[in-house]
Amino acid sequence: MARAKVSGSVVAGFPSPAEQYQETPLDLNELLVKRPAATFFVSVEGDSMIGRGIRDGDLLVVDRSLRPADGDVIIACVDGDFTVKTLRLGNGERGMGNGGAVRLIAANPKYPDIVLKPGQELDYFGKVTACIHLFRKGKRNG
Amino acid sequence: MIGLVDGNNFFVSCERVFNRRLVGRPVAVLSNNDGCCVARSNEFKALGIPMGTPYYQLKSREKSGELVFCSSNYELYADMSRRIISILRDEVLDVEQYSIDEAFIHPPTTAAADYLAYGRRLRAKILRWVGIPCGVGFAPTKTLAKIANHIGKKRPEGVFVLPGDPTYILASLPAGEVWGVGRRLAPKLRAERIFTAKDLRDAPDAVIRSIGGVVLLRTATELRGKPCNEDRDYDADPDSVSCSRSFGEPVTTLDGISESLASFTAQAATKLRKHSMLAAGCNIYAQTFRSGGGGDCIVRTVMFPEPTDATNAMLDAIRPEVPALFLPGTRYRKTGVVFFGLEKVGTARQMDLFSPPVESKASPLYKAIDAINARYGKGKVFSASEGIGEKSWKMKRSKLSKRPTTRWDELMVVK
Repeated sequence: MARAKVSGSVVAGFPSPAEQYQETPLDLNELLVKRPAATFFVSVEGDSMIGRGIRDGDLLVVDRSLRPADGDVIIACVDGDFTVKTLRLGNGERGMGNGGAVRLIAANPKYPDIVLKPGQELDYFGKVTACIHLFRKGKRNG
Repeated sequence: MIGLVDGNNFFVSCERVFNRRLVGRPVAVLSNNDGCCVARSNEFKALGIPMGTPYYQLKSREKSGELVFCSSNYELYADMSRRIISILRDEVLDVEQYSIDEAFIHPPTTAAADYLAYGRRLRAKILRWVGIPCGVGFAPTKTLAKIANHIGKKRPEGVFVLPGDPTYILASLPAGEVWGVGRRLAPKLRAERIFTAKDLRDAPDAVIRSIGGVVLLRTATELRGKPCNEDRDYDADPDSVSCSRSFGEPVTTLDGISESLASFTAQAATKLRKHSMLAAGCNIYAQTFRSGGGGDCIVRTVMFPEPTDATNAMLDAIRPEVPALFLPGTRYRKTGVVFFGLEKVGTARQMDLFSPPVESKASPLYKAIDAINARYGKGKVFSASEGIGEKSWKMKRSKLSKRPTTRWDELMVVK
């Protein structure tokens, strides 16, 4: 949050030649958090999305303000638990068979698709916009 | 036109964003120390269990699985509140946060064409971005906006714009339910045959003044549609205590920010003590200057070590957070303090009687403090007790949910 504007303070003599190049330092928030009010961080448990590069213990950046579209990696709640999956909207979307049901698809063949029942509404939490993988000892520590 | 936006069953709604198993169930959030119900879901309200019902009376219905309870997780609620306020600040000209779950807004002139549509859009945005359903009411004054909000909340679209002539609405609203009137005045009002908000609005000034002084007259004036913007000081116990001011000249130093916040904290703490109330924590904020109104708002949430009304204890907790509000080279137009987690001093003592034996050791101490309070005033006694380091008042929160938006080690888990 602290984004101090750095400006040279030269008391006397020539202006610092570097001054005109001084800019705000890069801030990861700027890259990862476009809308702070709608952005949440969540922690991944398990390997159901390993095929999309999301590993056990990774941190996901989730933007609730974005509407879910076919093929998005989203967070949704199924039977009380939050899950991260790829969203497949039915109704003749490209590459989709199996009729019109909305599906949540894992990126790991070990996990079967979660198929929403007719009339069951998708309990959408938000769209995953980034995955952060920290290198460190031990398994998880959000 | 003034709008009032508030979160529906706010604490419960915050819990539900991260715990979907609570959706559709009768849920209540408990006060500090798991004392009594301070927020209820609609399903809980439908069972006819009133606000303030002590938790111990409901424990058996919790065991049977009928009711669900959460300890108050103010850190989470304050962060969700901060998010809502920041959305509002992006959308409207000015936001006055009135409590952790309520804010008055001054909509831009472009909204005037259709306040209903504008309110719906705001509400939908907050619901999508943060997950909290809100009620929105528009009216010419704050007192009337409160009434409009109340009606809006009960409508499916969540929004209500008070009609130009609201007489029929005021005629069906008991005078005691008008914002700031309070139940204490009800007998006096009845004696003057003032039963409804309409009666209050239409009563002669002299009569109103004799019942509730200049404060009640201001309320009546607002009911007539004329805004009274003075700092209001109510007879009724506040459900929120806050203090903020816009600076005459933009402030550009950390000292200026610190001093203003310290002074607002002291003023708000005085209000708390006047009502014999304690606060669990506060949001402190600083709004940057932008010509033409608005400006970024930086907010920090401060939890007190225990619920308190002592200015010193509050300042000790707030002081380390103030530098985070300040960016060098920025001009600030406003700072403020909003307390949350309010409880009556007396309620806390009553809860203590029902606490397990370990805690009840503290009750002689409570009594002693009450006796000293009566003689020397509350603030001193509480700050002195904190010096002793007595831990028996430590908040009991056995059903505390995680704090997924403010703690790295408590993030929501997805599989």
